[in-house]
Order: sequence, then structure tokens, then C-alpha cells
Amino acid sequence: MKKRLYLELENCIGCRSCLAACTQCGGHEERNRNYVYDVNPLVNRQTMPLMCLHCENPACARSCPAQAIQIHETGAVLSALVEKCIGCQNCTIACPYGIPKFDHEQNLMYKCDLCIDRTKDGIPPMCASVCPSNTLQWLTDEEIENKKKQFNLDNGKWVTSMPYLEGETNVKVNLPGILQGITKLF
Amino acid sequence: MQRDKFFKEIENLNHPNEKLIKTHCSYCGMQCGMNLRVNTQTNKIIGVEPRYDWPVTVGKMCPKGVTAYQQTNHKDRLLKPLIRDDASLKGTAEGFREASWDEAYDLIAKKFKELQTEYGKDSLSVFSGVSMTNEKCYLTGKFARVALGTRYIDYNGRFCMSSAAGGFLRSFGVDRGSTLPWTDIHETDCLFIAGSNTAECHPTSMFRIWNVQERGGYIIVVDPRETPIARRADLHLDLQPGTDLALANGIVNQLIEMGYIDEEFINKHTNGFEETKELVKDFTPEYTSMLTGVAPEKIIRAAEIYGKAPNAVVMFARGVEQQHKGVDNVSAYTNMALVTGKIGRPKAGVATFTGQGNGQGGREHGQKSDLLPGYRKITNPKHVEEVCSVWGITPEEMPQPGVSAYEMIELMEQKTIRGLYLLCSNPAVSAPNLNFVRKAFKALDFMVCSDFYLSESAEFADVILPAVTWSEDEGTVTNIEGRIIKINKAQEPVGESKPDWQIQVELAERLGRGKYFSHLKTARDVADEFRLATKGGYADYYGATWDKIDKQDGVFWPCKDEKDEGTPHMFLDKKFYHPDGKAKICALPYRPPAEEPCEKYPLRLTTGRVVYHYLSGNQTRRIPFLHDMCPEPYVEIHPETASTYNMEHEERVRLFTRRGEAVYKVKITEAIRKDTVFVPYHFGHEDSINLLTIAALDPISRMPEFKACAAQLEKVELKKVQ
Ligand code: SF4
Ligand code: SF4
Ligand code: SF4
Repeated sequence: MKKRLYLELENCIGCRSCLAACTQCGGHEERNRNYVYDVNPLVNRQTMPLMCLHCENPACARSCPAQAIQIHETGAVLSALVEKCIGCQNCTIACPYGIPKFDHEQNLMYKCDLCIDRTKDGIPPMCASVCPSNTLQWLTDEEIENKKKQFNLDNGKWVTSMPYLEGETNVKVNLPGILQGITKLF
Repeated sequence: MQRDKFFKEIENLNHPNEKLIKTHCSYCGMQCGMNLRVNTQTNKIIGVEPRYDWPVTVGKMCPKGVTAYQQTNHKDRLLKPLIRDDASLKGTAEGFREASWDEAYDLIAKKFKELQTEYGKDSLSVFSGVSMTNEKCYLTGKFARVALGTRYIDYNGRFCMSSAAGGFLRSFGVDRGSTLPWTDIHETDCLFIAGSNTAECHPTSMFRIWNVQERGGYIIVVDPRETPIARRADLHLDLQPGTDLALANGIVNQLIEMGYIDEEFINKHTNGFEETKELVKDFTPEYTSMLTGVAPEKIIRAAEIYGKAPNAVVMFARGVEQQHKGVDNVSAYTNMALVTGKIGRPKAGVATFTGQGNGQGGREHGQKSDLLPGYRKITNPKHVEEVCSVWGITPEEMPQPGVSAYEMIELMEQKTIRGLYLLCSNPAVSAPNLNFVRKAFKALDFMVCSDFYLSESAEFADVILPAVTWSEDEGTVTNIEGRIIKINKAQEPVGESKPDWQIQVELAERLGRGKYFSHLKTARDVADEFRLATKGGYADYYGATWDKIDKQDGVFWPCKDEKDEGTPHMFLDKKFYHPDGKAKICALPYRPPAEEPCEKYPLRLTTGRVVYHYLSGNQTRRIPFLHDMCPEPYVEIHPETASTYNMEHEERVRLFTRRGEAVYKVKITEAIRKDTVFVPYHFGHEDSINLLTIAALDPISRMPEFKACAAQLEKVELKKVQ
């Protein structure tokens, strides 16, 4: 069954275990490829991960003049191919979320490949495997649909992320606020 | 096996030329399951792979766990014994030379014998820790009493879990850190969490904790800081550090006033209610608010939520325990469960977040000054007899009870204790009042330290013995739930390092006590003797064989025999462990912190942890990812407080108390009380916040008051690093 990365930003505790785990995926040369932001560091402890969303029509790949950014059959938008990447950094500018990172020494872009060695066989990526708070989860479409139902408010106050994102993405996101629609037990 | 909705069947990724060794993390009490990746050609540990099939943590790990494997083949590992001939260099890392094990053992045996001949048996001491297996903890207790024959043995749990132990013993008559398995946590309706920065200190509890809210349940957090868990809590009781006892009394009073008590439970299963009711009467919301700084409405609301919840769990950690009334705090919060009868059934109970990996098991089996294996008392002649029969000594040979960790250090300074064997601990960073502690270590005639890195404490030693990391030995650990689990060996010891149990056996032989130790040739030999020594004690591990642990995904103690599957839930029969089978509701008069703010020291200083480091930081500060994420300590200050001192974010300032001072970078945050400053304690030498903390000890647990003392800030000339 196809599974996707799903982000529930409200849950993040800022432990950066996702980043530590990213370095542990065999194919990542021990470099982490995503980000965790302190939302308002002088005020509170809110944090959120900023992960590649693996866009269905990825701006990074579209912007690449050398076709170095391939899309895997699972939908994962891969890291630049060493032999093709010309180091122009177009992708780092084109991505609406600033995801691709650049290695100046190697003159090479590198980005999240959704732990393709794992996810091609249905094994969850390292970040979603370890995330202690369930901010990052590896779910079926059905499970994601249930999440949507659970967290959607029909009063128009609460929406999942769609209107805020640029186009369809393989990774699904719930912005902070998931608890607004919960009915308390007592 | 408790497989719940978070459990998913997932196959691990197997890289070519690698095997996976199932084990658990080396660090905190969560003891997250993990697989170590071992290269089958070099036989070295090279990485980590989640352990999805571990029912408690289902593959999850915090960044410490993810990088834990990097400890084993780290460049800083001690590969050979080290001897320092020039005692004037004590307190520095200088002057050590490599030596053979024979030379090191000979020197230790000679010095120990000389000291004991001249100053008596009790001139030696053992200071140990609980970040090691039950087998090692057990043998360390036996080593002190049988090989050295000294009364002075104690351990770093005095800076960690001893108040929880004291409180549970008084309230329940038994000290098992959690009355229920962690797989119950997400199914309860209300979590009342006091003094626990859970998101940073026990991160892999968080997916269960958040799920309580997703189900419509409540989270109440008590903390002077708005920690990540407090930020999302339904109710945050932002108390002044060191005032928990007043808050707990205030909430119990409200529970009684609002009629949330369970009279039948109280009558049948508890003692002490009337007395307690009388005492807490004074703790009206207004009075409690005056003492704690928490708004009266919040106190009422907390009692209402907890009282109404069909099931609820009261949880706490070092925030309430590391006070000079830590034991009272534990019993007072436990009162909430006892007056409402929310205990002794699934999804309801009381739990402490165990700090160290084996904080639970390590305190039960005889490393504490007054305890013997199986939680037996050294002052109980029957208990002594039972243990003597396993050890093969006579009761007359059993030493008397000793004193607590910090008090041992005081005896070093007074020259009553002249020799020290330190293992699995780094008190030169983790003890309070460090200027005194470091002076006491310098005063020792002879000190041996066993560690796998050259810690700040090892800098005071004459001999350093290279120990192994957790991944180079096997044995059991008792996790946060009271579940006995198995640590497996993934690699042969690096260099000439040895496991501490082997060091103790060999050292005992040098000391002429081989006949009590020489039969212990493997970790499993120690495990078998250890289980036997616990048999009949109330922390009975006899039935928890390694095979059973493997088959059942761990075994909860007590587990008395082969057929016994262990005890995930405590008190299901509503029988507590006091002789009359009843729990004790405790009437506890309030006492303020030992040192209250004054004109000269107007701020409250509190200390704690960050997610990237473990205890004294001796291990985690060496791991590149963890070091990069938090390379140095800082002082958290509320912006309004900072502005009264005219201090800026990232400016270096001097923080001082009556005992010491240090210079820290300012971290401005609104997520802390205005009257409180916070510094993490994982750092050594002049960066240690414990230079400033106070050694006011709890009368029962002898726990120092790390969590509250009076401090002052001052600008330093050095302007902000540009
Ligand atoms: S691992 Fe999860 S909780 Fe931790 S920082 Fe990453 S997303 Fe946030
Ligand atoms: S999020 Fe950015 S890097 Fe990821 S696929 Fe979309 S455009 Fe490319
Ligand atoms: S430090 Fe604790 S929470 Fe983190 S991985 Fe290790 S056992 Fe788990």
C-alpha cells in the first residue's frame, strides 16, 4: 500500500531528531537535508520542521537547466545527480520553501530524497521513523483522509494546508491548530 | 506483549555486509529500542536502525539515541589504564601515563590495603552510578561490602531518583517508578505532569502524551518555564521553583472541597486522610497562590479537570524531586491519586520519569548506602542473612549502613574517607556546590576512576581504568516503567577496555577476596547470581530470565518464578505494600526552599536539561551533532528581567550565588517566570552551573536542592561577542 510522509506541525517539540536521523540514512553522506525552525525564539518554544514536500510538479526540477533533479516512480523528488548538476543553484531559488541545500566544495546541490533506499520498499524514511512526537508520520492515503476529517472544522475557521501551498504535493501537511476542532471528553 | 495502535509491522532495512543487533539506547530511562548496525567484515558498530518492533517506543528515538552508537568507536575512548604519579596535577587532565592492567591493579591493591591498614576498613569508598546494567549495579554493591568491606558506598541516584524512591516507599510501601505500563499513557483522560520537561528529557513519551489531547483529554503541566509541553498544555501552572508542596496541598484541598474524593477507596485502602484533610484546609486557592505564584483560578481549574477525569495519571520528575523537600513533594502529588482513588487500575496511577537508563533497577540492588539486592534493608537482620547466604559471608562481616553521595564527599573533605573508587558517574560536574566537591576530591589520598572517556571527575584520579560502553557488554536494565529489558553486545571491547563487572572480579582477586568473585566469568554468571540474590525481596527479579525477557518484550518486576509473567500494573488488587496493605495519604506541612531570594540575591536559579545532552555531558558533548546543536550553556532570562539589568540577548553575563559564580551567554525568552533564571547543567569546569547550586539535602532522600536557590546577575566588562 502506498504510504506518504505526513506532517502535523502542531506536534513538533524541536528535538531535531529528524535532522540527526537524516544523517543516518545510508545514502545521505551523514549530512542532514531538512530544517527545523524556531518560530519565535525570543518568545516561546514553538518549532516546526521544514521538509521537502516532494511537489507533484516540482519547481526545483523545472528550474534545472541540466535535468539533474529526477523524479522517482514513487513521486520522490531526488537529490541532484552528481554527473549532471552544474552547480547553477537555480533550484535553491526556485523552490518556494528554500529546501535544496548547496555544497560549495563539491559544487553540488543536495536535498531530501525521502530516503529513497527505504521508501522505495515501503520502509518509512528515517525522520518519520524516529520523530518522537509524531510530527512526522508515514501514513496510507486512507489514514491521511481520516486525519483530514478529524481535524477539519466546517466553520471555515480551520483548514488543512492546501490553500497555502503552491500546487499538489506528495507530502501532506497539517498546519498548527489541529486541536481547535477537538471535542473535549468532559 | 503490549502492542497498541502505534505498533506497526515494519521490516528493517538491511544493508549489505551488515547485521543488526537488537538493543536499547544507552541514555535515559525511556530505554528506547534500537538496532545497532554492525559491519560483518570489521565487526564494528557503524550506525543505527530504528527498532520498530519495540512496543514502548516503536522505532522512535531522540537525537541522543540516534547518535548514541557514535560513542563506541569514538576517538576519545580510553584504551589502556592510565596512572598519574604526580599528585600535584590532580584536577587537571595532565600527567597521566599508559600502564598495563597488571600494574594498575597492583597499585590499586597496594594503596587500598595501605589505607585500610592505617585508617580502617571504612577509609575506602565506592561512588557509582545507574547508567549501567543491573548486573553491574548488583556487583558494585557486593564489591564494596565483600571485596572492600567498607560501609561507604553510594551512587548518583542521590542526584536523580532518590526522592521519588523515598516518596513512593512512604506512600505505597514500595518503590516502582511507574504503577502502570507506558502503553497506557495515551489512553488516559488527564495527564497531570509536574516538574518534567518531558519533550526534552523523555521525548519519546511525547507521541503518547499528545494523543491524550487528540482524544479530547487534558494535559496539565506544572513548571516555572513554558517548556514545549507546557506550551501546548490545556493548563500551565507556572509556579515559583521550589513551591510544589504548597501547590499539591492546594490541589488536594480543592479536590476535597469540590467533592472529587473517593470515600470508599479512602476508607478501605488508605490511612492518613483525616489528618491530611485537616492540614490542607489552610491551602486555600488564595493562600496557595501567594506561596506558589500560580493564579488561584488555575489551581481550582487543575483540581476540577483532574477530579472530573474518569482516568488520570499523575506524573513528575526531577523538577519536584530535586528539592530539599523532594520526598514530601512526591508524596504530596501522590496524594492526588490516593484521595480520588485514581490508582490500582489500568490507565490511572502515578509515575515518575526515570532519569538515568537504569535509574529504577540501579537503585534496587544494593548500591545505595542502606540497601541490599531485591530492595532489602541493610538494617534488617533477616534481609542481611538472606543476602549473606548468597554471598557466602557471615552477617557479622556485613558492613553497617553508610551515608549518602553528597555526605560521602563531605567525609572525603574531612579525611574520614581517604580512598575512592568512582565508576559510572561524573560528580565533578553533577554534584551540587562544586567548589567544595572538587576540593574534597583533591583531598583524597588515592582515587581510582573507571570510565570510557576522561571525564572531569577522572581528572582527579590517580588511576583511570578504561571501561566499556553499553554496546560492548550485555545485561539487563529496568526501564521507566519497571520493565526489565535486555541490552545486547554488538561489538568486542575497544582497545584494552573491560566491563566494570570484570574489573571488580579481577580487583577482588588482587585484594585476596577471589573466592567470593572468581566464579563470575561472564555477564550471564553475574545475572544468575543477581537474580538469586533478589529472590524473596520485594523487587524480586528471580523469574526474569534473559530468555523470558526476550520472549515477552521485557518483564515487569516483581517476577517471582518461572511461571510468573511479571507485573505490568501495580496494585490491581488494591493491595499496597505497607504491612496493613493500605497506602498512606500524607499530611505534609509546607516548607519554602532552603535559600529564599533576598536583596543581595533576588533571583531564583533553577537548573535542568536540554534535549541534546545527557547528565554531566561527558558522553554527549563529544558527539558532533549534539555538540553542534548545543555547544555551551546559557542563562535563560525573561526579557523584562533582562531589561532591568540592561542585558541583551547573547551578551555574556556573570551569574553568582553564595557558593560560586560562572559566566554565561544570555538567552532571552518569554517562556520563563520573571523572577527565575535557568541554566542547563551538562557542562564542565568553569561552565558548570553546579558551582552555584546549593547542597541543602532532603532529610529522607538526601537529595540536594538543585532546583531552587537564590542568585544574582551582573554585567561583565567584556561586551557582546561581535
Ligand atoms: S523529530 Fe519531530 S518533533 Fe523533533 S524536531 Fe523533528 S519534526 Fe519536530
Ligand atoms: S519542496 Fe522544493 S525541493 Fe521539494 S520538491 Fe518541491 S520544489 Fe523541489
Ligand atoms: S535518550 Fe532517552 S528518549 Fe532519547 S533515544 Fe535514548 S532512551 Fe530514547
